[in-house]
Amino acid sequence: MPQLHDVDYTLEYPYTRTTGPVIGPFLTGLRDGRILGQRCGDRVLCPPMEFDPDTFSTLEPDLVEVGPGGEVVNWTWVAESSAKHPFDRPFGFAFIKLDGADTALVHAVDTGGDPEAMSTGMRVTAQYREERHGSIADVYFVPEADAADQVIEPGEEPVTITEHLIGLRLNEPLYPHRARFAQGLLDGKIIGQRSPVTGKVYVPGRGYDNMSRVLLSEADEVVVSDVGTVVAFTELNPVQYYGQTETEPYVRCSILFDGTDQPVIGIDIRDMTVEEMRVGMRMRCIWRDPEDRSVEDIDNRFGNIPESVYTRFEPTGEPDVPADQLKEHSW
Amino acid sequence: MVSLAEDVAIVAFSQTPSHAHFNDSEPAMIMPCVNSVIEQVGMDRHDIDFTIAGSCDYLSGMPFAFVMNIDAVGAWPPVYESHVEMDGAWALFEGFVRLQSGDIDTVLVSGSGKCTPGSYREGFSLQTDPYVHAPIGLDPRTQAGFQAQALIAAGKATERDFAEVVARSHANAKNNPYAQLSGDLSVDDLLAEPYLQQPLRRLDCPPTSDGAGAMIIARADKARELCDNPVWIRAIDHRIESHHPTLRDLTDSPSVRIAAERVGLHDGPVDIAELTVTYSPEEIILRDALGLNGDTAVNPSGGPLTGSPFMAVGLTRVIELARAIANGDGRRGVAHASSGPALQQNLLCVLEGDS
Repeated sequence: MPQLHDVDYTLEYPYTRTTGPVIGPFLTGLRDGRILGQRCGDRVLCPPMEFDPDTFSTLEPDLVEVGPGGEVVNWTWVAESSAKHPFDRPFGFAFIKLDGADTALVHAVDTGGDPEAMSTGMRVTAQYREERHGSIADVYFVPEADAADQVIEPGEEPVTITEHLIGLRLNEPLYPHRARFAQGLLDGKIIGQRSPVTGKVYVPGRGYDNMSRVLLSEADEVVVSDVGTVVAFTELNPVQYYGQTETEPYVRCSILFDGTDQPVIGIDIRDMTVEEMRVGMRMRCIWRDPEDRSVEDIDNRFGNIPESVYTRFEPTGEPDVPADQLKEHSW
Repeated sequence: MVSLAEDVAIVAFSQTPSHAHFNDSEPAMIMPCVNSVIEQVGMDRHDIDFTIAGSCDYLSGMPFAFVMNIDAVGAWPPVYESHVEMDGAWALFEGFVRLQSGDIDTVLVSGSGKCTPGSYREGFSLQTDPYVHAPIGLDPRTQAGFQAQALIAAGKATERDFAEVVARSHANAKNNPYAQLSGDLSVDDLLAEPYLQQPLRRLDCPPTSDGAGAMIIARADKARELCDNPVWIRAIDHRIESHHPTLRDLTDSPSVRIAAERVGLHDGPVDIAELTVTYSPEEIILRDALGLNGDTAVNPSGGPLTGSPFMAVGLTRVIELARAIANGDGRRGVAHASSGPALQQNLLCVLEGDS
């Protein structure tokens, strides 16, 4: 039989940023195997900046090559690397004052996992990744004696956009009320929570009544009907954004199940057109066979009644509920 | 002295324990705090003029998570409400400034964070420079490691000094029912532990925590009406340093020095300091920059090394200080909140009791 599971969820945002007149050439340089600094009076700033960090006045782009060698002026050893670090093993992060620069760049130093190899004053040199994208992560550093000769093929167009896909992974158990709701769906039951203050029944419950500001528990839970009334609907025409899995138009509706006070939103209808939908239409959930049900799409943040527990919602043929009786629930 | 248009006091406060894991939603975590402060002042929820919260959507793992948090503050029928994507101490700052306008009397402030489902190291690396820092995952623990190494290199502190901060914090936390970690630790034992982020060891770094806090602040006349023992907010100031750590003197905190001057910290005695010491070396820098001597009790609560729900932890410093002053443990003190890596941003709040 299908089972509950912990939530393992990745929140992703694909960021693209314009690079501007100073960072653009800097990232272009990294892609092409050179490190550039920005002149600021009689100093050279690396990482380069569009402004004087002391006066904040604008600097005209005036880039000069620095490095590839440099000196470690501060460092710390990462015993447990994170998924976002340049290496998946222990390494050093360092302030590196590149030859020809007057300020330091923060970057990673690979000593093959040996913290003893790190020291203030040590000499390091730049090494480049096989695949480079015009990113600060195109480069890393090694002790000067460990450096390998590299032949870097320059790219063609200057880097004007940088892409950074950020992904934050969250892992936690289902909250107790979410676990009971999800288990209910596996059992073919829709579980709501009844506020002891107002008597209103919320589906799915959130573990509290936000109108009366009281926490709700298992003692407040009720099994509600799987027959209800359409209170809102729309046709979705999928836009192809990052992460989109839908390709064809479909209907999404909200259903107020009998005996409840809050519609369940986001119920998807695949076998009816938007022209066939009506506010007030009575619908019944046709559950999948128990062994075919899954609540994998339910986590602590998203998921109400997913398609993975029902085959379809079927019009009951009862007379429509007059729309003006549903005004409070039209969401 | 700081000149204020309106005197403002804390009239109610509440906090959750620092949870090693709170297995329910963020609103469910905040709601009991909000209910508690409303009950303390005996007001109808809708007579509170302004509501403001601090939290972080990246921690919550959901776009617009802060909107869901409004479930906890009693926002129906609609209330006048705002949010900062910062620690709740900055929500307090906005509420304090809002009261200076003189047209409203009361503000409900909250701060909350659930750090345990995700990785705060990965999440908070995203507040660094998006071109040269974030793509290599430059995380707050690494930046704290740089700060620790800089202190040692400058001869301003030793690893033993760091361990002494840890031992004192854990010992102080034995009296704090909200603390996540507490106990008697030997400095020698701490120094025998392996490095986590050389030169930092695991207990030089904060535990991972979930938690929330809330308070109600009010203008003077209203404060006296609502509370027998208001704790006055004499001044708040917030100062920022460069987000490029290589351009900063990591062994000092010029932003704290400026803020301390601006809040008139030494215009009176400083009995208690509740400081956002997220990594143990920060206490050494803060004591020095604040000009504290042996007359000031530093982090009698144990501080963030013993419980660190990010986005509530700074507001919790203000709550801990307010409680200590309300209890008569001191008459005047300073609460400190920090944002950004390695004390990049600092907020100071001076509190004073009536008696």
